[in-house]
Amino acid sequence: MAVMTYIDAINSALHEEMERDPSVFIIGEDVGKMGGAFKATKGLLEKFGSERVIDSPLAEGAIISSSIGAAMAGMRPVPEIQFVDFITPGMDALTQQAAKLRYRSAGTQTCPMTVRVCYGGGVGGGLYHSQSNTSWFIHCPGLVVVAPSTPYDAKGMLKSAIRNDDPVMFFEHKKLYRSIKEEVPQEDYTVPLLKAAVRRKGTDLTAVSYGYTLQLTLQAAEQVRKKLGAEIEVIDLRTLSPLDTDTFLESVAKTNRAVVVHEDNRTLGIGAEVSAVIAEQAFDCLDAPILRVTAPDVPLLPAAAELEHFCTLSVEKIVAAIERTLDR
Amino acid sequence: MPLGAEMAIASQSMETLHREGSQQLDPELLRRLYSYMLRCRLVEERIRVLYRQGRFAGNYFAAVGQEATEVGTTLDLLPEDTVGGSHRNFVTNIMKGVPLTLLFAHIYGRKTSPDQGRSAPAHCGYAPLNVITPASTIAAQQNIGTGIALAYKMQKKPNVVVALTGEGATSLGLWHEAVNFAAVHKLPIIFVIENNGYAESVPVSLQTAIEDLSSKAAGYGIPGVTVDGNDVVAVYTAMREAIDRARSGAGATLLECKTYRWYGHSEIDPAKYRDPAEVEYWKSRDPIPAMERYLATRNLWSDQWKQELTAEINREVDEAIKFAESSPKPQEDEALDHVYSFSIRDRELKRKIWSPKPEGGTSWR
Repeated sequence: MAVMTYIDAINSALHEEMERDPSVFIIGEDVGKMGGAFKATKGLLEKFGSERVIDSPLAEGAIISSSIGAAMAGMRPVPEIQFVDFITPGMDALTQQAAKLRYRSAGTQTCPMTVRVCYGGGVGGGLYHSQSNTSWFIHCPGLVVVAPSTPYDAKGMLKSAIRNDDPVMFFEHKKLYRSIKEEVPQEDYTVPLLKAAVRRKGTDLTAVSYGYTLQLTLQAAEQVRKKLGAEIEVIDLRTLSPLDTDTFLESVAKTNRAVVVHEDNRTLGIGAEVSAVIAEQAFDCLDAPILRVTAPDVPLLPAAAELEHFCTLSVEKIVAAIERTLDR
Repeated sequence: MPLGAEMAIASQSMETLHREGSQQLDPELLRRLYSYMLRCRLVEERIRVLYRQGRFAGNYFAAVGQEATEVGTTLDLLPEDTVGGSHRNFVTNIMKGVPLTLLFAHIYGRKTSPDQGRSAPAHCGYAPLNVITPASTIAAQQNIGTGIALAYKMQKKPNVVVALTGEGATSLGLWHEAVNFAAVHKLPIIFVIENNGYAESVPVSLQTAIEDLSSKAAGYGIPGVTVDGNDVVAVYTAMREAIDRARSGAGATLLECKTYRWYGHSEIDPAKYRDPAEVEYWKSRDPIPAMERYLATRNLWSDQWKQELTAEINREVDEAIKFAESSPKPQEDEALDHVYSFSIRDRELKRKIWSPKPEGGTSWR
């Protein structure tokens, strides 16, 4: 075991997977000599050479498309999109090709590709370095959408994603990269992709989140315990599509109250889906309306600190929603 | 470009190449070029009849008139070579050796088709022989093809990718990203532009301001060649050179074949946006009789041979249609299969409902 940051965990997973399987390769802007904008690919070029660590042209369409083709032909590409905000030139490739390839060939042409993307706001990045547009991909059957919240999961789930035979969108929040550390095994391990986790046991309300806001939700749960004595159960979705619904349904059936927390826009964010699933499958268990804590429906994120603050989630906003739901 | 000018260029190149380029081509090869063109023509004309008879649903995008390009760019590829085509490259499956039975099962959307009824009739792919199943979003296949070429290079395989599009695709940003990437990495891929004059209804003059689309290659630092796309010998000869380059590790080539689409964009398009005289002119440049005349000059053709070939192909087509029409249709809930490497059937079909129990606690059913 070693104490690792989230970015160390990602880097370590990439090193180990490239070591383990010669078909794994990296492609993206600045991933080679520079080691990635956030240093996720540090040391890979030196160790594995420029054939397996490709500094690509500034062309997200080519990065994703080339990865899809290489995946079809037996490779396991791990393209990096520096900021998810830049992914739009690759959207045809992702939504029309990668997502449909297996389906449109009845399982005979597949795309074992893991697209690593950096997402999330709260660092003054403005409109094009802050987005959390997970819903674009959740709404696209054929893609697996993953967003780990801890270093342990980041490493274990990245390994699972790389070994998985489906195209995976792997969301890494930039504020998680260096803000938390935990013990992470140095030997090989994986974390399954399709199973949510109960991060905190509780009896009074279920709070559902993922990624960076999962960490905020855990802090909020602790504050609520101190303030009100209420025990909040916190569910980490881990994977946003396909969604593990049983874990949060089971929890809501026990606590009878639910709050969903995410940084993406409110409308058709994952919170809308989680709320709808609870309403459809556990309505009779509810003692209060489901509340969502999300960004407002504006382009994310405005740059000025005041505007950004208004649109960004905080522990206080989550505590307030939990309190309102407990009061009903 | 005025139509007349294009005509002049085209007919000139045809004669020139026939005289100079083909003397080395093996007689058997020349006869195969011809017989494959005939096969593609007969198959597509039959598909069009089946469509008008209402025997399959959807639509079809025939490449009739473009056989010299279809055949000349894809003859004698290795099974491990990849073809990535668009909606108008159905017949490249024939060139890759996909059995006609499977192709007609695909047209009919039957369970026996390579994709078990998922893609539209013209979008046929076949994994065992490396034909990428097409998508309707244009320029997709050469982008994916570029990635396959990247894999071939990384795996040190001697294989190539043939990526076919119409001229319309060259206006898309993704097309440029793919060609540029392939050029930078010297990938074993040939970008074939089938310039048939129209992207649906839009003429090439509104697509690009340049004369020969192959001149775009200069912008990426790869060779670009324009040939008469109705001259199968010219197409084949240029393509051989490009394939040899790619196999030898020298990188990508952009090959423009100037040809013409006889019919509308699809079976529901009467193509009234075209001058009938223009269509007639191009029909007079039908690549199949042109090749017959050429084979005759080399004593390689007889009317009887053509009749035998025609009968044989039609017999195979009849059998393939019989196979398709007697093939089972997919079960409705098979729509849930092949979304992921794991099944989503339980997720879709078995949704648990949680309820409070009268004695306290909850249960689900």
